[in-house]
Amino acid sequence: MSVPLTLLGLLERQPSHGYDLKRDYDTYFGRGKSLPFGQVYSTLARLTRDGKVVMDELAPGDGPDRKRYVITEAGATEVDAWLAEPVQAEPHLQTVLFAKVVLSLMLDRGAKSYLDAQRHAHLQRMRELTEIKRSGELVDGLLADHGLFHLEADLRWIDLTAARLEQLRAQVRR
Amino acid sequence: MSAALRASGVELSFGATPALRGADLTIATGEIVAVMGPSGSGKSTLLHCLAGILVPDAGQILVDGQRIDTLSETRRSELRRDRFGFVFQFGQLVPELTAAENVALPLLLGGVRRKPALQQAREWFDRLGLEGLHGRRSGELSGGQAQRVALARALVGGPQVLFADEPTGALDSITGEQVMELLVSLARDRGTTVVLVTHEARVAAYADREVIVRDGRVTSFDTQEAAA
Amino acid sequence: MIRLGLRMAVAGGRAAVARLAIIGAAVAIGVGLVLAALAGTTAVQRQNAHYGWLNSAHAEAATGPSAADPAWWAFREDYFRGRSIARIDVAVTGPHAPVPPGLSALPGPGEYAVSPALAELLRTTPPDQLSERFPGRRTAVLGRDALASPDLLIAVVGRTPADVAGLRDATQLTRFVSVSPEHCLRCYVGTGINGMALILAVVVAALLFPLLIFIGVATRLSAARREQRLAAMRLVGATPRQVATLATIESMIAATAGTLLGFGLFLLLRPVLAHVPFTGLRFFLDDLELTWPAALLMLFGVPIGAALSARLALRRVRMSPLGVMRRVTPKPPRAWRLLPLIAGLAELTWFVGRKPYTTNGQTAAYLSGILVVMIGVVVAGPWVTMTGSRLLARLARRPAGVIAGRRLADDPRAGFRSISGLALALFVGSVATGVITSYVAERGDSAATPIIHNLMTVTSWSGHGQQPLDQASVPPSLTAVPGVRAVVLIRDNPQIDKNDPNSWPGLISCADLTRIPGSGHCSPGAAAAQVFPNLVPPYGGSVRGGSDPQWPPAPEVPLDRQAVIGVAVDTDGSPAALETSRTLLENAFPQVDGAASEGDIRDDSTRLLRQMQRLADIVIIASLVIAGCSLAVSITGGLNERKRPFAVLRLAGLRLSDLRGVVLLESAVPLLAVSAVAVAAGFVSAALFLKSQLGYELRPPGAGYYAVTGTGLLVSLALIASTMPLLRRLTGPASVRND
Ligand SMILES: Nc1ncnc2c1ncn2[C@@H]1O[C@H](COP(=O)(O)OP(=O)(O)OP(=O)(O)O)[C@@H](O)[C@H]1O
Ligand SMILES: [Mg+2]
Repeated sequence: MSVPLTLLGLLERQPSHGYDLKRDYDTYFGRGKSLPFGQVYSTLARLTRDGKVVMDELAPGDGPDRKRYVITEAGATEVDAWLAEPVQAEPHLQTVLFAKVVLSLMLDRGAKSYLDAQRHAHLQRMRELTEIKRSGELVDGLLADHGLFHLEADLRWIDLTAARLEQLRAQVRR
Repeated sequence: MSAALRASGVELSFGATPALRGADLTIATGEIVAVMGPSGSGKSTLLHCLAGILVPDAGQILVDGQRIDTLSETRRSELRRDRFGFVFQFGQLVPELTAAENVALPLLLGGVRRKPALQQAREWFDRLGLEGLHGRRSGELSGGQAQRVALARALVGGPQVLFADEPTGALDSITGEQVMELLVSLARDRGTTVVLVTHEARVAAYADREVIVRDGRVTSFDTQEAAA
Repeated sequence: MIRLGLRMAVAGGRAAVARLAIIGAAVAIGVGLVLAALAGTTAVQRQNAHYGWLNSAHAEAATGPSAADPAWWAFREDYFRGRSIARIDVAVTGPHAPVPPGLSALPGPGEYAVSPALAELLRTTPPDQLSERFPGRRTAVLGRDALASPDLLIAVVGRTPADVAGLRDATQLTRFVSVSPEHCLRCYVGTGINGMALILAVVVAALLFPLLIFIGVATRLSAARREQRLAAMRLVGATPRQVATLATIESMIAATAGTLLGFGLFLLLRPVLAHVPFTGLRFFLDDLELTWPAALLMLFGVPIGAALSARLALRRVRMSPLGVMRRVTPKPPRAWRLLPLIAGLAELTWFVGRKPYTTNGQTAAYLSGILVVMIGVVVAGPWVTMTGSRLLARLARRPAGVIAGRRLADDPRAGFRSISGLALALFVGSVATGVITSYVAERGDSAATPIIHNLMTVTSWSGHGQQPLDQASVPPSLTAVPGVRAVVLIRDNPQIDKNDPNSWPGLISCADLTRIPGSGHCSPGAAAAQVFPNLVPPYGGSVRGGSDPQWPPAPEVPLDRQAVIGVAVDTDGSPAALETSRTLLENAFPQVDGAASEGDIRDDSTRLLRQMQRLADIVIIASLVIAGCSLAVSITGGLNERKRPFAVLRLAGLRLSDLRGVVLLESAVPLLAVSAVAVAAGFVSAALFLKSQLGYELRPPGAGYYAVTGTGLLVSLALIASTMPLLRRLTGPASVRND
């Protein structure tokens, strides 16, 4: 799960305070494991250093909550690339896939085409594993099968999500 | 251009229900293509059009560069008999005939004499691990056996294209895998083009590539790879 | 292909074989029936042709070379114990007389020739009852050429020319008539052939219709399964033609086997058929033959017909590789389906009071009318079924009624089909029963008095242009015959008024009249009465009173001075007394028509009537049985076909008792609704026919009709009920699985 890219994505919706970012992150992606404030600010600091985010001094005064973070051109480009690119097909991808779908919907990017691309990537990997299974040793085959079942589970999830995309969009874009 | 099958702008409605609305698909000779997509999206209908079972309302179907949607019913039947093979989910064997006769059916319909046709059919039983089952009726076979008999029947005439619609739909995953394994290895050995409709990723993974049918239209990937 | 078709037809397991067997059996019965009818028609014609020479008095129809010496010829009808005898008195005038069929020469004076059946009677009957009617000795037996039936009684009696010339209707002839009576206008000896062929046709149609329906029902058995199989064949590339060929072969197998079986059945039953006295007399076995064209037509026509109909049926469903193209819910039947029924009844109504003059015209009018009504019942059936089912759906409270009503209303044709045979059987039965009961009530023995059988009379009255009888010739031995109770004379009425329907040609003293029980009575105060010469009031006359009519008083004339026009002998009704007195009377008065009782004369028509009644009973029962078979077959077939939906309904919580209700109602509603229409149409047709053709009113049918109809309906309902155990088994949860 890529916290920096997720935060960047959330920032692309609108400039936000650190506190807002943490709350949104917890709402959509935290699921029982909230992001510590320390990690939020350290990540934001790193992103600022890399020029993907700038601080926007809005109101006079001090304290962390007076600062709003704004995404830069470089940051937006990175989010764009990340969202379009299918994840390397391997087991235990659920959180990343999910983050990408939700963010795509929030940002009005092509969630559907992303899912298609992801499906294609998964199938590509499954083809490779199937080929190993068909031609390789039994042990390789069994390992391949394990991978296949996991990928298949992901794919099922992809299909399901694709079918529920409209409902999900309505939820995340309230 | 070695397109074994090509559909362009195919449209078909059942009464007021549009099943295909401008489907385009090109399949190269020897290619194994999985057709996926949500239920009711038109996968089976597309396959039926490609195989000359249904005639599209608009668009063209080409087999080896020849249009088949303009052929007569009889000519299309002969085309199916001589150049296509079919494996469907179930209900495709003729229950009145023995397994061997079922396999020999396309040959018999094509005018091959009974003896050589049955002889040829028998050979397939050994190849598919169906030894000793040629005398059984379809009701006396297990699902996997029946499906293998259907596969033998689809391949006995040496078809150029094999059409499979959910061939493992009624089977458990191990049996399904065996059938797919057989289907794919036989098709690869013979350079047979395969159109495989399935909603199972593990079945689709046996194909060279997949296309997605959604709302009566086809989405392809890697067209550049396929053309290469 | 053909071999494949054969394999598939017989390899379909028990159900398929049973189906083929049912179709084959039905075809066999149908073919046997039609063959019997065809052979029967041939036999009627050949039999009739053999009557030809008996009509030789009508020389204009004679053909062939003339003989040099003419012969005298006088034909008359005689009777013996209720059978009629054709008696011909002949006299040769020279050595070169014409030679009739079946004889080497005409018998000379003092000789006579008889048919074998009569010879047998002569052998076994005391001479004073029969053989004394023929003077001389028997010199020959008539050969086969002269005989229309083995039972025919013929006597050719040789006399002198002077004797024969004095007989009524005596003629001279030089050659014999050899054409069939049907081609000779005035030839009256023979069978009313048009009528016979027509009755035969009606009988066959009445049985063939239910059979055809039965075959149709059986053909539809497991249609879904066969359609699925043909679709599977189409998928692997069978062309439409190949599929058609397969279906054709399949139906030809059953049809061919059935046809061959039907021929066997016919050959087996031919001797029995010959014994059925359809025309009143048995057939010769060699007359009951199939003509070659007819046999070939049936042998090849039936299988080819079956093949053609299979093709037609297939063309309608248009078999696609994905199964039968989605069937649209059939349009509900419209009210126009009542039109043929109404048209048929209208035709029959139109002919009331407009009876056609010729027999052919009448048969054409009435039969076509009844046939149209019959077709009308079949056409209207689905509409009636639909109306009944809508009513059911509206009135039903329980789920069974609602489901059954909806299903029936959805496809009333299918609901009607299974009971259509029964509807036809009931229609035919009602028409036949209605006509025959009424006819019998008007004409039959109900008005019988003892004199119809007991009173033997000879009459000869001037009204018929004949000489009166010589009173001195009345044989005195008559009164001595055992069983003879009285001999009375009937005298000429000189003041007969032809314009007065209550004036009769004969006179009898009241004293004589009272000696004969059942002959009626005089008007009060009269000494003598006007009577019909044989003392039986004719049909439709003005003399009423049933078995004791009151005759009008005689005019004031001296009775014993009037000429004798009739001799009436009252007997105890025993055959010996009747035949002995007949023999005495005929020998005493050879110039007049033979002695006869009213019963002898009426017998011809009553015998025919009785036969028709029996025939109608057979037809009704047979068609009921056939219809019952179709019902049973279609119900079990229908259950088998629908076992999956029914099983699913059961799984979904419909109770078995409700399911039973559905099945029961689905058959019972059309059965009862259409039966009511069919019976009503039948009786209305019968009433219209009777009114128009005979001027009779329809009489309510007897208990036998209610028994047969009621039993038929009960058996049908029982048949439906008998499928109930099957229902439990068929719709068990196992049926939900795919097979
Ligand atoms: N015979 C028919 N009559 C009417 N509509 C039909 C018929 N066959 C299919 N359809 C409709 O056409 C559309 C496409 O059907 P099709 O069978 O091609 O779907 P599919 O993609 O194969 O679905 P599945 O994965 O469930 O098999 C569906 O909406 C279906 O309801
Ligand atoms: Mg499908």
